[in-house]
Amino acid sequence: MTLEWVHPGLLLILGAWVLPFLKGRVKRVAMLILPAAALAACVRMSPGTYGEASFLGQDLVFGQVDELSLVFSYVFSIMALLGMVYALHVEDDSQHVAALTYAGGALGVTFAGDFLSLYVFWELMAVSSVVLVWRRRQASAVAAGFRYLLVHVVGGLILLAGIVLHWSQSGSLAFEHMGAFSGGTAWGLILVAFLLNAAVPPLGAWLPDAYAEATVTGGVFMSAFTTKSAVYVLIRGFAGTELLVWLGAAMAVYGVVYAVLENDARRLLAYHIISQVGYMVCGVGIGTPLAIMGATAHAFAHILYKALLFMGAGAVLQVTGLRRLSDMGGLYKTMPLTLGLYMVGAFAISAVPLFSGFVSKSMVISAAGEEHLALVFLLLSLASAGTFLHTGLKLPYYMFFGKDSGASGQEPPRNMLVAMGLAAVACVLIGVFPGLLYQHLPNAVIYVPYTLEHVTSTLGMLGFTALGFFLLLKHLDPERTISLDTDWFYRRGSAGFLALVQSRLARLEYDFVGELYEFVIRRPVLGAADLVRKLDSLVVDAAFVGVGRSTQTLSQVLKTAVDGHVQHYGLMMAIGVLGLLALAMLTL
Amino acid sequence: MNFLEKHLEDPVHFARIKRWFYVGLAVVVLAEIVLPRIFHGDQHHFSFESFPAWGSLYGLASCAAIIVVSKLIGKVWLMRREDHYDS
Repeated sequence: MTLEWVHPGLLLILGAWVLPFLKGRVKRVAMLILPAAALAACVRMSPGTYGEASFLGQDLVFGQVDELSLVFSYVFSIMALLGMVYALHVEDDSQHVAALTYAGGALGVTFAGDFLSLYVFWELMAVSSVVLVWRRRQASAVAAGFRYLLVHVVGGLILLAGIVLHWSQSGSLAFEHMGAFSGGTAWGLILVAFLLNAAVPPLGAWLPDAYAEATVTGGVFMSAFTTKSAVYVLIRGFAGTELLVWLGAAMAVYGVVYAVLENDARRLLAYHIISQVGYMVCGVGIGTPLAIMGATAHAFAHILYKALLFMGAGAVLQVTGLRRLSDMGGLYKTMPLTLGLYMVGAFAISAVPLFSGFVSKSMVISAAGEEHLALVFLLLSLASAGTFLHTGLKLPYYMFFGKDSGASGQEPPRNMLVAMGLAAVACVLIGVFPGLLYQHLPNAVIYVPYTLEHVTSTLGMLGFTALGFFLLLKHLDPERTISLDTDWFYRRGSAGFLALVQSRLARLEYDFVGELYEFVIRRPVLGAADLVRKLDSLVVDAAFVGVGRSTQTLSQVLKTAVDGHVQHYGLMMAIGVLGLLALAMLTL
Repeated sequence: MNFLEKHLEDPVHFARIKRWFYVGLAVVVLAEIVLPRIFHGDQHHFSFESFPAWGSLYGLASCAAIIVVSKLIGKVWLMRREDHYDS
């Protein structure tokens, strides 16, 4: 690695360890300088290949820099900076170190040019982010953290298996488009591991489970990195894979359905991450230049507005200690600033004109239209309405308006408001000046978001979604329930499995397998052993005994010849010599 | 008493907001029907998009469908007591 190129991810990962040794104002300055330096390193980077190293005879590339990796690195480092501003007041070094390592891991994945370094940063993200869950230090958070780790360790192993298989088949570790290996086992394993991190159902239940249990500031970091770095590697490796079109569209609707049922504010937002990532996965699957551009732009916009939404819900959680929508209400009186900033994020995710989602989400939907995928187009539009319904209407209604719960609120610490303000400014800037974002996108296709029809039909759609919301309001009252998701399989399913093992399976083992063992294994084996033993005593032993006896007899005979008298030996030798002479004379 | 409180707590103000909301909806629907005919906007990808006020209709239908279908799935299958995983 040369001095001209500094890996922004390593800067964060190594720099984070300085923080525990600093105090007070110096520490807070360092908390901001580290992500700012990483952002600066990303901005001054130009496309090329940097940081090459050799390991086990393989070329590792830590700095694969092109337009795609650059735009993701910008938003990851901006996000790290916003997250640190939001977390400035937190007096917990382990959270700061974990958050910066997590962000550094995402940057490492972004710049990885080979599978091995990709894998290392991939695992680093999982291990560091789980700390952000555990540090809430409640029993439910610790348990959720272990489940999160379990899922990601399995995902990591699947990825590793895929990488090793791919390496042995292709002889190369380079991380390139996997289209040439489509349908192979290695291709499938790597795809599954990527889909798991992108939270594609049925592999996505870890996301709402963990994100809703994370610390207030940790949840903000988590909303940004894992799923979007997975979208990035999907674009790199699997653009144009048709399966992703349908998974993405289904995912967009799936998140919306669960959001209707959800009562926990951050779980609701987490299900909307799944829904929004659905648009990106769908765009990756469509694979046209416009679709890839849309997926990238939407990832960029999404990270900023979703962070803002998590910051808003986190602020309410921090101030009131409430996480259930059914317990909140009436907070607009005491937290108007938080409400206003949250609503900017809500308008952005709902794709209201002049907010960032409007200029990014529509690109993916238009790409589906251009490819004449009518069902995908309709599903994504439906999910759009659902997004506004929940994030823009249901959540703020029950959190800030609705029935006054009497919960005492106040504005959160100033640094949290500043972070929310910065994120809100970014959402509006991108919405008003989409060129700011578009100029950094790969596959620069001309796309004009602000057409008359697009604006009017979007406004019509949002307006009538709002009408539907107010008409059906009484059906939307949050209920004190939780909803089953695929995490059931490792939360309840495993308990059921153990019960099955202990009761029925144990009896089955004793009654059936035991008997089967007796008849199929034990008796034949014992019978065969008996046979072999007899064979042994009859043939082998007899043979040895026979050899022994004949040796003994022979030696008895020889013993009589050896009597100790020299004259007898001489006589024997003479007979022998005479015999030899007679033989020689006869034959000659 | 801040700005929002004044408008939401007072029934007269609230009724006025409601009225403006309906007016807004009507304007949007009209704009959606009329404007494309005047300006001959961009090409549609699908024929159903040319249906008058398509965005508004689909928005309302989507909203209703999402709420009704999700609640149905939830009641029949997915929703459980909060302590479901604790026992």
